[in-house]
Amino acid sequence: MISGSPDAIAVKNLVKSYDGKKNAVDDITFSVRHGEIYGLLGKNGAGKSTTIKILTTLIDPTSGSVNVLGYNPEKHPLQIKKRIGVVQQAESFDFTTVENNLKVYATLWEIPREEAKARSEELLELFELTEVRRTRAFELSGGQKKKLQVARELMHDMDILFLDEPTVGMDPIMRRRILDNIGKRAASGMTVLFTTHFLEEADYICDRIAIMSNGKIKVEGTSSELKAKYGGLRTLEITASEDLKQEQVLELKEGLFNANLAQDAVLEGKTVKIIGREITKVLEEVLRFARKYVKNIESINLRDATLDDVFIEVVNNQ
Amino acid sequence: MKLPASIRLTYRNVLVNMDAGTMVFMLGLPALYLLVLGTMFQSLISGVPVNNQSISYTHFLGPGIVAMQTLTAGNIGGSMLWSDRRWGMFEQLLVGPFKRTDYLLGIMFVAIIFTLGGSFVMFLLSELVSGGFILTPLSISLTICSLVLGTILFSALFLIISSLAKTMQAYNTITIVLFFVLDFASSAFYPINSSSESIVRYLSLGNPLTYVTDIIRTALISTPNFGTLEELGIVIVITAVLFAIARQLYKSIKMGI
Repeated sequence: MISGSPDAIAVKNLVKSYDGKKNAVDDITFSVRHGEIYGLLGKNGAGKSTTIKILTTLIDPTSGSVNVLGYNPEKHPLQIKKRIGVVQQAESFDFTTVENNLKVYATLWEIPREEAKARSEELLELFELTEVRRTRAFELSGGQKKKLQVARELMHDMDILFLDEPTVGMDPIMRRRILDNIGKRAASGMTVLFTTHFLEEADYICDRIAIMSNGKIKVEGTSSELKAKYGGLRTLEITASEDLKQEQVLELKEGLFNANLAQDAVLEGKTVKIIGREITKVLEEVLRFARKYVKNIESINLRDATLDDVFIEVVNNQ
Repeated sequence: MKLPASIRLTYRNVLVNMDAGTMVFMLGLPALYLLVLGTMFQSLISGVPVNNQSISYTHFLGPGIVAMQTLTAGNIGGSMLWSDRRWGMFEQLLVGPFKRTDYLLGIMFVAIIFTLGGSFVMFLLSELVSGGFILTPLSISLTICSLVLGTILFSALFLIISSLAKTMQAYNTITIVLFFVLDFASSAFYPINSSSESIVRYLSLGNPLTYVTDIIRTALISTPNFGTLEELGIVIVITAVLFAIARQLYKSIKMGI
């Protein structure tokens, strides 16, 4: 064990191949400091969950070195597992009531009875599960099941919490409440490794973010660093008074792409959203397009890049 | 007080599996066999020969129903692995503070607890229906030993199926067929002797439940002899072989894919 290391997680040249041909994780290197909230973003199949499964000792890496809390997961899995919490992407619960799920978990983690009772009540309240406490877990809705999974994991103390898409199916208020709670725990020293498809969540909670694509980490940094790095990127939204046609927008898109002015152009009903750098030139193109096809312009909106824009640029330009 | 990991998992397994369905499977059906089937057949059968004595059918059936608990609990134990794999709890538990061996022991222990509890209830019912069982330190020890060995044996058998089955349909079909074959092609419900149909005789000879039943029946009704020891030896060997296979297959279950 390496004591006094500033990193709770240290990964170097990690490779994982399931079939010996394609690498699900392809030579990634990153580290997560104690108390940091680190976001792993990427499309489905980017390698995020495989990375988490290696870090949580479920699967062994093909090559590379991994260090979690000073231990090698292959050699000392139990030492790591005693100090981590994991909310897996896949559904997992016991076939009993919501409160029994929490009770069982408390026993498994050796939480004293009174403390377990208090924590259970607090979490049922926090996750708005009080009304369904006597409902069997498999009868819950998708969002409620996910809430139960997160609540159950927070029954015990831990040094690192691994969250693999923990807010799927939850409403925005609950998502924000969970993120705030996790943020509070991180402020008191807990390290968090977080994967999500909701980029605004990562923007809201993560200290640092890595974007993965095809098993590789493409970019890494704070949210503002990434926005600055891919800076200059701005989004122009033009809304017409009536629905636009896809072929018209394709014509605009082609023109922008040929002139290398835009990273993406999307039609959403009456609105065309264009992400690009030289926004004045983009605007000229858009106005030319509007004169040709749009009777009345309802609004033109210009805004700075979001993490979504960074993500799209990074993933599309791999 | 700190409890060992396997005991904490056993507690979890008991709590999660103590539902009405499991209880009916564990106690309800065997009780019906004993009370309905047993008493009905008793009125048709004058006596059943066991070790040179003739006993009533319910007296004969009682030890068979007690022995059957090993198969039922083994099935419940093995199914736990399948269910945990299917519903994500296998991986969830193994990212918790447990080793793979703890999980395996948790399954074995809960199956043994269910067997002993269920057998005790079935024994009491048998005593009520027919009575006259021999209770000596030797008969009790031999019965408990057979019940524990039988439970490990059948748990291992169903763990093998849980490890190999790829779909729920395959798992359910195999276990249901196997359960009925093992249950009825054994000496639990009727004596197997030279006058039995040859196919049943051969099936029952290869059926471990026959040996578990015979040991318990001899212990509770007559006097254990060299043949009993032989049967115990057979049960030990089959248990060791099946457990070794189950352990190997269990260890090779791939996770995270």
